[in-house]
Amino acid sequence: MITLKIDNQDVTVPRGTDIFLAAKQNGIYIPGLCHHPKLTQYGGCRLCMVEVTERGRTQHRFSCAQPVSEGMEVKTKTPEIVKYTKSVMEYLLAQHPLDCPTCDKSGECGLQDITHDLKLATGRFKSARMNKPMRRDNPILEFNANRCILCGRCVKMCKDIEGVGAIDFQNRGISTAIGTAFDKPLDCTFCGGCLSVCPTGSWQDRTFKFRARPWELKKTMSICPYCAVGCSIQVNTKNDTVLRITSRDDVGNNEGNLCIKGRFGHDFVHSEKRLKAPLIRKEGVLSPVPWDEAINYIAKRFGEIKNEYGGESIGGIGSEKCTNEDNYVFQKFCRTVLETNNIDNLSNIKSPSLNALIHKSIVHGFTSTTSLQEMEKADTLFFIGTDVSEAHPVIGTLARKAIRLNKADLIIANLRDVHFNSTAQNDIRLQYGFRTQTVLINALIKKIVEGKLIDLKRVEKFTAGINEFKSSLKISTIEKASQITGVPEKTILAAATLLAKPGNCFIVCGKDIEEDPYGHEAIKALMNLCALINKASTPRAGVGKISLIFSRINNNTQGVNDMGVVPEFFPGYLDIDDQANRERFEGSWELKLSDSITKGGGDNIIDLALQGALKGMFVVGENPIVNFPNGKVVKEAFESLEFVVVQDTFLTETAQLADVVLPTTTFAEKNGTYTNMAMEVQRLRTAIPPVGEARQDWQIFCEIAQKMGAEFSYASPKEILDEIVNTVPIFSGMNYGLMNRRGFNWVTEHRLKAKRYRFDIFKPKPVEKKKRGYPFVLLTGPSLNHLGSFSRNSEALVSVSPECVAEINGIDARKLNIKSGDTVSVESIHDSMKIKAKVSNKLPEGVIFVPEDYEWVHVNALRDNVYTKVKLSKV
Amino acid sequence: MNTTNDQNEEIDFSKAEAILDEYEGVHGALIPVLQKIQGAYGYLQEPVINLVAERMNMSASEIVGVATFYAQFHLKPRGVHIIKVCCGTACHVKGAPNIVGKFSEVLDVPVGSTTEDKLFTLEEVACIGACSLAPVAMIDEDVHGKLGPDNVPSIVEEVK
Ligand code: SF4
Ligand code: SF4
Ligand code: SF4
Ligand code: FES
Ligand code: FES
Repeated sequence: MITLKIDNQDVTVPRGTDIFLAAKQNGIYIPGLCHHPKLTQYGGCRLCMVEVTERGRTQHRFSCAQPVSEGMEVKTKTPEIVKYTKSVMEYLLAQHPLDCPTCDKSGECGLQDITHDLKLATGRFKSARMNKPMRRDNPILEFNANRCILCGRCVKMCKDIEGVGAIDFQNRGISTAIGTAFDKPLDCTFCGGCLSVCPTGSWQDRTFKFRARPWELKKTMSICPYCAVGCSIQVNTKNDTVLRITSRDDVGNNEGNLCIKGRFGHDFVHSEKRLKAPLIRKEGVLSPVPWDEAINYIAKRFGEIKNEYGGESIGGIGSEKCTNEDNYVFQKFCRTVLETNNIDNLSNIKSPSLNALIHKSIVHGFTSTTSLQEMEKADTLFFIGTDVSEAHPVIGTLARKAIRLNKADLIIANLRDVHFNSTAQNDIRLQYGFRTQTVLINALIKKIVEGKLIDLKRVEKFTAGINEFKSSLKISTIEKASQITGVPEKTILAAATLLAKPGNCFIVCGKDIEEDPYGHEAIKALMNLCALINKASTPRAGVGKISLIFSRINNNTQGVNDMGVVPEFFPGYLDIDDQANRERFEGSWELKLSDSITKGGGDNIIDLALQGALKGMFVVGENPIVNFPNGKVVKEAFESLEFVVVQDTFLTETAQLADVVLPTTTFAEKNGTYTNMAMEVQRLRTAIPPVGEARQDWQIFCEIAQKMGAEFSYASPKEILDEIVNTVPIFSGMNYGLMNRRGFNWVTEHRLKAKRYRFDIFKPKPVEKKKRGYPFVLLTGPSLNHLGSFSRNSEALVSVSPECVAEINGIDARKLNIKSGDTVSVESIHDSMKIKAKVSNKLPEGVIFVPEDYEWVHVNALRDNVYTKVKLSKV
Repeated sequence: MNTTNDQNEEIDFSKAEAILDEYEGVHGALIPVLQKIQGAYGYLQEPVINLVAERMNMSASEIVGVATFYAQFHLKPRGVHIIKVCCGTACHVKGAPNIVGKFSEVLDVPVGSTTEDKLFTLEEVACIGACSLAPVAMIDEDVHGKLGPDNVPSIVEEVK
């Protein structure tokens, strides 16, 4: 720590802090427009001049470029400095349009604030105002070069943090301007980062323009409703309308960074297409009814089914998008009122062994990130089976920070040559062949063990079974693995070396692995790898650590599982068939659980419905017909049911099949918590009252329960959370008050001692043969601009990304005479679809890739539970 | 990547690839790479810049940023003869704007562009150090001083 004097005030800050920041942190104001704490220093605006006295010498310095030193004396407001700063401002303003009355930035504009602070009423310079044309070449952002002061913030944001580099300084001298290459229309990830760091009104959010003045906006801290990164956002509202999303650099994991969905995809909240009233199917048509009628009807029908066939004939699908509180109440309602344990959520049906594997990873201390933000301290990053830029964009910004500031190395293993811009010194890409992920991981392990890249003696101290494990590695060779996976031997060696190097290693295991029919093998292999490089790779135990993070798709995919909306577990992964656990919940819920509340035979609820074992279904905030593989079968399953209730914000394909549809609230209207993929329970807060007749999910469950004669009520999400905290051990100690700036991490909060790991020895299943006549494998994956029914109903996101395209390899394309832009037909044994093709060199031969998050594109109807074989032809 | 440039000519990337190979892995090599590529192709055309971007793991906008910062780089095709009209202070005072206007009229191209027959490129430059001859223009390596608008047509004819 360094102590210095700023304007006669003693301040103490860490070494390396610049004077500008030291002053700011201590409430001393220095004007400055180009400095931004999350961007590299530039010193371009010349506004932050201070007087520095050091070792008897007094000099003028730019405070943003001058690190503090012990005993330094700084004056920020001498007459000379004020005079200098004023003249710099006069130069900046000489060309500025000063169109504040019609500028959306007015009120939160750095330039305006400094003009005001310095009382610059008249300028000395009369100069022609610039009159460059407004650039409006994309649906989201608009650029007004006349307001730009060339501070360079947006350029650095775009390049260093977002890793895109879409914009830069173009030309020189008086004609210098921020622009794209060759003046092309802006074609980027539309993260809005430039908008968020610009100190002036140069970048404008077209979705917000002229809708409010900044000072009229109420800002509510909340959590992004899209992906499982769980970025902190500020919901900006006026007159109970969400007008824009902003972010704070100092709250949450994302340091103010967001992706397009988080920043611009909020307009679904006020979409015309939202469900307005409850609907009941009358003479085949879904017709609006009052709430009472809908609730009465549901209570009656569920009651009848329960009496006739037993509670277990009703299925429940919980929501990966609703809050923890909603999902907790839902499982309690199903288990105690409907008396069924046939409840589940789509993520658990897709990856049935994942919860148990994650649990194992936690128990052995591999999943040990306290927050996703910790990733910026990584020394090695290993992304396997995940397309971070598309699935979890803000993880990309964290990774790039680790690469930039911590010199982290990067390894990306994927079936596709996924796009990830990095400046890492060591950036290794392992593009493995279809279904060979486990072989690849085992080859990495073999290299690490047999190349003695780590201290095996140390590993032995913390683990069990290493010797058998070592000998099990002998059966295969690296040459063979290289042949099977298609990854060159020397690349495998390079990656193994990076993984074994000391320091913090962050592994993100993606959906491609988790949802793979043999994904559990790969995850077990990954855990073996973690055990090897965990303690042993570090010179001193406890320095550097391994963090295995499992991708989750939606904002609360983790939470719906944590809350026990699965047949195997009560909330908190407590085995449902364990007597002590049953008693724990019976005590808390003050009732006796029915004997039918038990794991059952292992068939998921879609199977049960198909077998005719289910008569009724209650779906909350999900669209399984579209979002679940083998959509055709799911549809059949739903059609076979006697009574279906769907509770959602939109009339989804699944809702269209329902007997009753109930309108619910969105994130903007909700209060409660979501849990991100690093197990951080984070707080969202009500920004606006429910839109239209929508009701809170948890309230609806209570109302149905009461109608069915149960004593079942909560006053607020807080009361629900209190019950969770008091009943579920992993959440003990949690409360809303703790979650103001950071989430509550249920894994690391309790500092469990890691259990000794026993190496898992198994033989990977052999690679299977292709089905004849269906020469391609259909691969689906995430897309940056879309995620389910929210993005589908966001005009902003649809305008950026209106059409889903299928990618195919160049060689395949040539053989089939397909060019980018051609319409192709993709056909599996289940179904077929027509879609535009894009020829891509990112894919291996024989694979066709279709993003699955354009909800209106029913690619899942073609899929089955194993690898989907398809044929492809030009239309 | 499109393989034709804005003139709709097929581009042969092999020269650029060879230059990029030579600088593979060399840090801070952008400027020499651009110089060589400009040497090989005459100017920096979009598809080639995109190739440089891809191979050097940089964004095209950054490269164009660099290319437009230095006067030595050209993003548009250039003519056989380069006419640089000085617009420095002395020349300005002595009527450079009229000279530029006349060249533009005679050649029928705006400043900064190349005639359709690719014979001339008309550019403005800052002081070239021959103020005593103001207003001046440089055509290729030759300095023409004490110009008046009336001299312009004959000078152009001469060079042709
Ligand atoms: S929106 Fe993001 S990617 Fe696009 S220009 Fe701005 S900072 Fe760059
Ligand atoms: S657009 Fe804004 S952030 Fe970018 S250089 Fe101009 S003033 Fe700075
Ligand atoms: S990365 Fe995920 S959580 Fe963050 S803004 Fe984007 S969608 Fe939202
Ligand atoms: S803030 Fe220091 S030069 Fe801009
Ligand atoms: S100003 Fe033209 S040569 Fe000096």
